[in-house]
Amino acid sequence: MTTPQPALIRVENLVKRFPGVVALDDVTLEIHAGEVLALTGENGSGKSTLSKIVGGLYQPDGGRILVDGVERRLANPHAALEHGIVLISQELTLAPTLTVAENVLLGRLPRRGGAIDWPETRRRAAEVLAELGVHIDVERRVDSLSVELQQEVEIARAISTRARLLILDEATSSLSEGATLRLLDIVAGLSARGVAVLMITHRMPEIYASCSRAVVLRDGALAGEAPLPSTAEHELVRMMVGRELLDYYGSRVAAPAEVVLEVDRLHTADGALKPVGFQVRAGEVLGVAGLVGSGKAELAMALGGAIPARGEVRVAGRPLRLGSPRRAIAAGVGYVPDDRRREALLPPRSVAENISLAWLDTITRFGFVRVGAERRDVSQVVTDYGVKTSSLDKRITLLSGGNQQKAILGRTFARGCPVYVLNEPTRGVDVGSKSAIYGYIQRLAEKGAAIVLISSELPELIGLSDRVAVFHHGGIRAVVAGADLTEEVLGSYAVSGTRPDEHPSAVISTGAIEPNDTPTSAVSGAGRTR
Amino acid sequence: MNETLLERIDEKPAPPARRPVWSRIAAATGPATGAIAGIVILTVILAVTQPVFLTWGNITNLVGANSVTLVLALGATFVLLAGGLDLSLVAASAATGMVFGLMLQSGADALPAIAVTLLAGLVFGLLNGVLTSYARIPFLVVTLGTASLFASIALLLNDGKTINVFDFPGFAFVNDFVLGQAFGIPFILMFDIVLIVITAVVLRYTKFGRGIYAVGSNAEAARLNGINVRLTTMLVYVIVGFTAALASLVQVGRLAGAAPTFDATLLLTVIAAVLIGGTAYTGGEGGVGGTVLGVLFLGIIQNGLTLTSVSSFWRGAVNGIVLILAVALGVARQYGWLRFGRKGR
Ligand SMILES: Nc1ncnc2c1ncn2[C@@H]1O[C@H](COP(=O)(O)OP(=O)(O)OP(=O)(O)O)[C@@H](O)[C@H]1O
Ligand SMILES: [Mg+2]
Repeated sequence: MTTPQPALIRVENLVKRFPGVVALDDVTLEIHAGEVLALTGENGSGKSTLSKIVGGLYQPDGGRILVDGVERRLANPHAALEHGIVLISQELTLAPTLTVAENVLLGRLPRRGGAIDWPETRRRAAEVLAELGVHIDVERRVDSLSVELQQEVEIARAISTRARLLILDEATSSLSEGATLRLLDIVAGLSARGVAVLMITHRMPEIYASCSRAVVLRDGALAGEAPLPSTAEHELVRMMVGRELLDYYGSRVAAPAEVVLEVDRLHTADGALKPVGFQVRAGEVLGVAGLVGSGKAELAMALGGAIPARGEVRVAGRPLRLGSPRRAIAAGVGYVPDDRRREALLPPRSVAENISLAWLDTITRFGFVRVGAERRDVSQVVTDYGVKTSSLDKRITLLSGGNQQKAILGRTFARGCPVYVLNEPTRGVDVGSKSAIYGYIQRLAEKGAAIVLISSELPELIGLSDRVAVFHHGGIRAVVAGADLTEEVLGSYAVSGTRPDEHPSAVISTGAIEPNDTPTSAVSGAGRTR
Repeated sequence: MNETLLERIDEKPAPPARRPVWSRIAAATGPATGAIAGIVILTVILAVTQPVFLTWGNITNLVGANSVTLVLALGATFVLLAGGLDLSLVAASAATGMVFGLMLQSGADALPAIAVTLLAGLVFGLLNGVLTSYARIPFLVVTLGTASLFASIALLLNDGKTINVFDFPGFAFVNDFVLGQAFGIPFILMFDIVLIVITAVVLRYTKFGRGIYAVGSNAEAARLNGINVRLTTMLVYVIVGFTAALASLVQVGRLAGAAPTFDATLLLTVIAAVLIGGTAYTGGEGGVGGTVLGVLFLGIIQNGLTLTSVSSFWRGAVNGIVLILAVALGVARQYGWLRFGRKGR
């Protein structure tokens, strides 16, 4: 145990309690300079709490923190920053009304003669963002950006400081594959320069691609530690969830059934979504792949009624008037948006109110909410979907990120809709819960729901979908099914709009211009048993 | 470090967290902690130093003097919870008071006069509501504009002159109600309690009330879950208009006159009371209970100043300081002293 050099950061016997929970229970761990350490574990196991303590946002109730072998008190983020500790926390912390450039260099705006040097600010911000492969107008206000771009701005801000320890708390959960790869490259570069990186993630491929060691938390305590890549993935998963995860994506028996969702020439006026058409049968999962800006997000929002759109959509044969979430709900569309903070949560309200929000109508009689029925249904959702919370009356934002997501999914699933539109449903969810969510999706399909699953995680699309529609430049580029359903094919269509090879296959290209050539009916995935 | 794979699968049951008593009390009383603490401290001080303070006479006096504030503050709670603000409520109340005065002057009976007054309040509220929710003009702009408009209407209605209503036939009923009592309990106290209960029930137990909280917490999430955000927002302003009219009835009843001008600090007192009670100015959090405490707290301060014969000119200063302290404490409690500007919606 004698190390020639003290660890860059060592936390010893950390304890942190919140009302009703012990978030950290006697945790000791070390991070060395140049090391990329994975911190993983189930939702609510204390990862963010640990990172916030090291980042100076929370004070521990017990234990101590050593920086270069010297005990330090990190009273606030500024103190942590002075020791070179930079935290990108799970909830974005950007100033929404400031520009991208201001946010990237916030607190360190370059000055010339007392005044802020704006050209220099813009130049530097653009430079850092370019390193991340992001080319946006740095004069734009941050609140006009998508979650992914906001995340990139947050990362740009962190990497442009002189960090000795960079903590990434699920920084990749809202990034696309390409952006994730670029970030992992940067992480490798930083580590080569001697910067330590603490990566908190639920994504196994990232852990294996970047980290030399993984530390696993469970219920706030250290559940184990494993050298990488020599520890097998199933071993690591077992440490996280305490059991083997068999049959990760689950399976379903789906009988051929009637078409429930018919989409024809659906498009938005601004051209972000060019006319698309497809059909989804009861019991079928239609995957949707595509890069950011490919139109897949607009498809989800249009179906959920979140944005105005044109074209024809029929649910169970009845035409749906677009552009209103209320009408979409009444028609039986269960829509889960991808931006939890901005579009799904009521931050100051309780877990119970956040959950019952999705079906207030069904528990209302003569305008009054039937509180007994509400409690009963809410606790059912909390149990069924494994939402970890110490009380139904806890403020939803005090739940861990993954548990917030489970509550949001649970409230929509519990509504029992004929059509579900799920945009990134497993964002920020741990491996075990992901598998559980896949199981729920399978059950929904089995019970006859038509499901549109939008995801940036290709394995998830492949594991769950009967067919995958790949979006490219605003339209459906191809619909892939059967043996063609591989990461390679999907990735190639998403990035370049073409197949990786010349094999004849079940792929049917559709010019986005000829939407009536409904590609989906040609390849029917229905009736397949997996 | 030891590089081998070590595992601890033993599950420890979580020991219950131990926290100091004061922190548990603070958690239970929530954002109204400051108001409650203030009320308790002031009550003790005044009870010890001013023997009159805890007499039933002083208490009914306190209730009577603060009923107008309370009624207005209950309405303002709705709009603040929905994430808005109504700067026109006091002006609207003055204007509806003049409507009431004119009705009585014209010889109308009490009930038709009251009905027309309440209707006027609803119309004023509807104007604010339609402009903010359907015309999508920012609420500060709308209610600043209508505040000016309503103030003008109040002046124009009787050429800027106060209407002395005492001798009009319709007034007797209102006067009896506002100043009367049964079994030693003032009618106005009963009225306050009934109004408190109704507003509390509407906010907590109706779909409409849940919608208000949802809209104030995150309007987009509310919309995506089928809440009619515009209708909810509009109705909230209509409610404020209605309570403004109710308040004007109480006011006219107390003064036996309808005045076209109003106390400029009343608007601040009303909004301060709501905020001191723990309703978040960003919406979505708080409620009627807190507002009642806020009104009570400011009322006790005012009462204390009167009892100790401190100049009433101090009232504004004290209210302002208390407001800032209470809200600052609330913000600090919620976000920790060192977290800055993180609340985004
Ligand atoms: N400020 C807080 N107040 C009360 N409870 C909290 C607070 N922050 C976290 N918790 C609780 O502490 C536990 C650990 O939460 P934490 O956010 O650290 O989990 P996590 O490992 O980051 O999970 P995830 O993977 O879902 O992000 C959870 O039960 C959570 O509800
Ligand atoms: Mg977390």
